[in-house]
Amino acid sequence: MIAIEAELKKAAADLLSSGEAQMVLGFGPGSEATRTTPVFITGAGDTEKLVFNPFCVNNLVKYLIDLKDYPGKIAICVKGCDSRAVNRLLQDKQVDRNKVFILGLPCPGLLDPEKAEAVIDPSARLLTAEMEKDGVKITTDRGNYSLPAGFFMDKCRRCAGRNPVVYDRLVGQPLRENETGDDFADVKNIEELPPEEKNAYWDRQFSRCLRCYACRNVCPACSCRECVFDRAEPGWVARASNLSNNTAFHLVRAFHVAGRCVDCGECQRVCPVHIPVGILNRKILMDIKQMYDEPTPGISPDRTPVLGGFHTGDPDEFM
Amino acid sequence: MTAMLIDNGNITKFLDSVARDRLLVAPVREEDNVVMFRHVTGGEPVCLDYLNASVSPREMFFPATEKMFAFSTADGGLQPAEPAKGKRVLFGARPCDVKAILSIDPVFSGDFPDPLYLDKREKTTIVALACTNPSHRCFCATFGVDPAGAEGADLLLTQLESCYLAEAITPKGNDLLEAYRQFFSTASGGHAAEKNRLAGAAAQKVNKLDTGGIKELLDENFELPYWEELALKCLNCGICTYICPTCHCFNIMDFTRGGTGGVRCRTWDSCMFMNFTRMAGGHNPRPTRKERLRNRFMHKLKYHLDRYNLPGCVGCGRCAGACPANIDIRQIIKELREVAQNGR
Repeated sequence: MIAIEAELKKAAADLLSSGEAQMVLGFGPGSEATRTTPVFITGAGDTEKLVFNPFCVNNLVKYLIDLKDYPGKIAICVKGCDSRAVNRLLQDKQVDRNKVFILGLPCPGLLDPEKAEAVIDPSARLLTAEMEKDGVKITTDRGNYSLPAGFFMDKCRRCAGRNPVVYDRLVGQPLRENETGDDFADVKNIEELPPEEKNAYWDRQFSRCLRCYACRNVCPACSCRECVFDRAEPGWVARASNLSNNTAFHLVRAFHVAGRCVDCGECQRVCPVHIPVGILNRKILMDIKQMYDEPTPGISPDRTPVLGGFHTGDPDEFM
Repeated sequence: MTAMLIDNGNITKFLDSVARDRLLVAPVREEDNVVMFRHVTGGEPVCLDYLNASVSPREMFFPATEKMFAFSTADGGLQPAEPAKGKRVLFGARPCDVKAILSIDPVFSGDFPDPLYLDKREKTTIVALACTNPSHRCFCATFGVDPAGAEGADLLLTQLESCYLAEAITPKGNDLLEAYRQFFSTASGGHAAEKNRLAGAAAQKVNKLDTGGIKELLDENFELPYWEELALKCLNCGICTYICPTCHCFNIMDFTRGGTGGVRCRTWDSCMFMNFTRMAGGHNPRPTRKERLRNRFMHKLKYHLDRYNLPGCVGCGRCAGACPANIDIRQIIKELREVAQNGR
């Protein structure tokens, strides 16, 4: 991954110096070896800050919604999973295609920063990251580490879309896609539980919810100007944090993004108390695939969202 | 005050016994990577080998949602919330989190004493668990916290080779030791020496950042371009404020079902949220992320010092680890110092 950093920096500098883009939205070095942070670069000289390594976990597409009124063109770095969110925002006309330049970054998989920080010296500087047969080899200025597959983020271990589905320029070479694909084992494991156990499982998870709304705020499918959960009048879901309200929050959130969730996994990554919220979205995604034979939302820019389309010949009488 | 020993094997028996007589809140490992302070009733495994809990124990005194009173139109009356029942024990709080409680005490006990908070505070005995192995993200020494120190605690436990040294700091802590004396044995000078060695090593290991000049910079500069840069990446979620041991903002809301009565609750609120400062007419004095983000760090590094001469941050490192955009208060401290020095 780090191998394409030089090409990325060059591409970004060219875009800014030629005036083709006025801002580059990418990943910069974070406060620790296993962290990166979003950077918003406007000067060609600052593109040296850009990094691309197995800790580039953020889906930066969310920021395009914040920057909707930015006067210039934004060049955005997207991995395979992130790129689906660009398509979704284009479909919803949340983003003007003429105002974004998409730098596609083929991604062989990300490492879970929380797992990796137990191993990698936090003050180290990453030098190379090379995929091995069953893991990744990281070299740093403070030592080298061979991390087995268990260090990958769960979403990356089942990823079937390493290459961006939309881009203006692909940085580096396309990667071979993972043949096994997504088996939805995380969803099925819970679905197979007897109802009482399933209920107890989610009760335990939702009881922990702080209602910090990070899962919502990070979600590229959440683009409402005012969220229903922020409304005081009418207060659809009470702000009081308890199992009943928290459950309502999570279920409403999952249903609200049904058919629009691109399965980027950001909601689950950011949860400070590790509620596996992504499983709720993935249950709906699995059903969409099984029942409607539809691919993951955002796979193509011109596909009608599964819950946004209809056939006039639909046999249901409400049509 | 007394110092006693308790064997590793006796800790569970001691806690089970406490849980029978008092309301006990202790760290519990809920998932592999999640430790929460929970009400334990005895028998459940209490987690003692944790760096720090995912969320601070401030909830013991300042719950995420708390009933203030019930009201009813039918009988026209107000029914204040019941005071806390009986004695309580907060077990296993880390010294940074205990120091944080001292930092928010004056918020709830100033000109308008808060009976809900103070009642629980008074009835609670705090048993701190010394940090003998702080994480790389801990920087409590920056704010004068001793990672193995007892400031604010009633009883301090320190894990030694095969037992815990229990030092009573206050009469409350002493009472707890006395009440459960059967689980404790006498400590020797050797144990105290071992503890001092471990405490010294922890104090060496924990990070101490230089905050010199930051308060003065913030005193003079409400507007800094730095906040604008930083705010670009902030998602305005409430993670940092909700897991923080010193954040204490709340909202007050009525919850009613049907028209004749309801309850007034206070719930945690976050200065990161857009509607935190939105007023009835719609005006919002903190309209963008910049103002909201600035408020949080100004509160940590200036306002709390101005108001109470107490640090608004205790260096627990939670927010630095959990921020989805890697907004890291340690880096902010470093960068504000650069701004102070270079005037950028």
